[in-house]
Amino acid sequence: MALTLMLASSRIASHLRISLSHRAFSSVVLKDLKYADSHEWVKIEGNKATVGITDHAQEHLGDVVYVELPDVGRSVSQGESFGAVESVKATSDINSPISGKVLQVNKDLSESPALVTSSPYEEGWIIKVELSDAGEVKKLMDSDKYSKFCEEEDAKH
Amino acid sequence: MRSPRTLEVWRLGTVNYLKSLKIQDKLVSERKSHQIPDTLLSLEHPPTYTLGKRRTDHNLLIPQSQLTKIGAELHYTQRGGDITFHGPHQAILYPIISLRSIGFGARNYVETLERSMIEFASMYGVRARAGNKCETGVWVGDRKIGAIGVRISCGITCHGLAFNIDPDLNYFEHIVPCGIADKEVTSLRRETDALLPKEEVIHKQLITCFAKAFSYDDVVWKEDPSFILDTKDDG
Repeated sequence: MALTLMLASSRIASHLRISLSHRAFSSVVLKDLKYADSHEWVKIEGNKATVGITDHAQEHLGDVVYVELPDVGRSVSQGESFGAVESVKATSDINSPISGKVLQVNKDLSESPALVTSSPYEEGWIIKVELSDAGEVKKLMDSDKYSKFCEEEDAKH
Repeated sequence: MRSPRTLEVWRLGTVNYLKSLKIQDKLVSERKSHQIPDTLLSLEHPPTYTLGKRRTDHNLLIPQSQLTKIGAELHYTQRGGDITFHGPHQAILYPIISLRSIGFGARNYVETLERSMIEFASMYGVRARAGNKCETGVWVGDRKIGAIGVRISCGITCHGLAFNIDPDLNYFEHIVPCGIADKEVTSLRRETDALLPKEEVIHKQLITCFAKAFSYDDVVWKEDPSFILDTKDDG
């Protein structure tokens, strides 16, 4: 039964351009995104970017109950904190994978912070940014590198 | 074979809340830049109410103007969690540790803090348990004995846990503790018939349970608290 499910999920994943690692505790990594080592993802579209936290991040956080969003118009810098999420009585900083200016924040997260948990790559997006330095994207990981990074981190304990 | 993990422990006695925040800020910065190893602060606070990042001050049931009358301060913080009380005879641990070096996220970290307190309570025959979903902390039945509220930035922790040894539980009447309205707060004194040793001994036991739960190989007990209590940025 488990093998059938694994094969079915691999076929679906391949169709959706998702890479799955078949470990006991695997998380979803999307192929067309870039990733920071602090577990945020970014989708680049021209000089605009959408940022959120990864499936690996939300799994390791526990249910998100609060999201602190930045103000529209403020600057963000690669590797610097721009907001926070709260889960299990822990606030965790969210760091920006890229530098630029915040164009939009996901206001749905104020009423429904759990979207970060249930849909980290889609409805749980956090900010949209106008890039100030497209070259910075080179410093981020692609999906294969990020999957490996997550496996190595999880192997530490 | 992984490299051995060391925990440095500072036992600070009673520390004013704002001062403890300054000390933690400094240690977090030093831990981020690898100047210090994982560090644990063990201390108590004078009577202090604190709020978390969500600023749930509707859970303070008396006007702020009344706080000095009952000998307490109020502080807003960046930690997770709701309103809580800290005071004498409540053991506090503030771990300043790198979660990235052990591959922990918030959930594993908090669960291990809970396990530390449960293990500690069991030394006195008290059967504590972790909270249900949305009730992070440590409970004896429906009575809360240990609270958790942490902050994680760049994978480094601050704030931590508070375990009730024998605090004046009346202070909890002025809040909805942790935002949970219908549950009591309790203490080790209330829950055990065992004779409690000196608090210094109790704190050391709690620290040892923490070190064991987090699999530290070495614990270094720092002897001179004035080294970090006399921080130059002190106001």
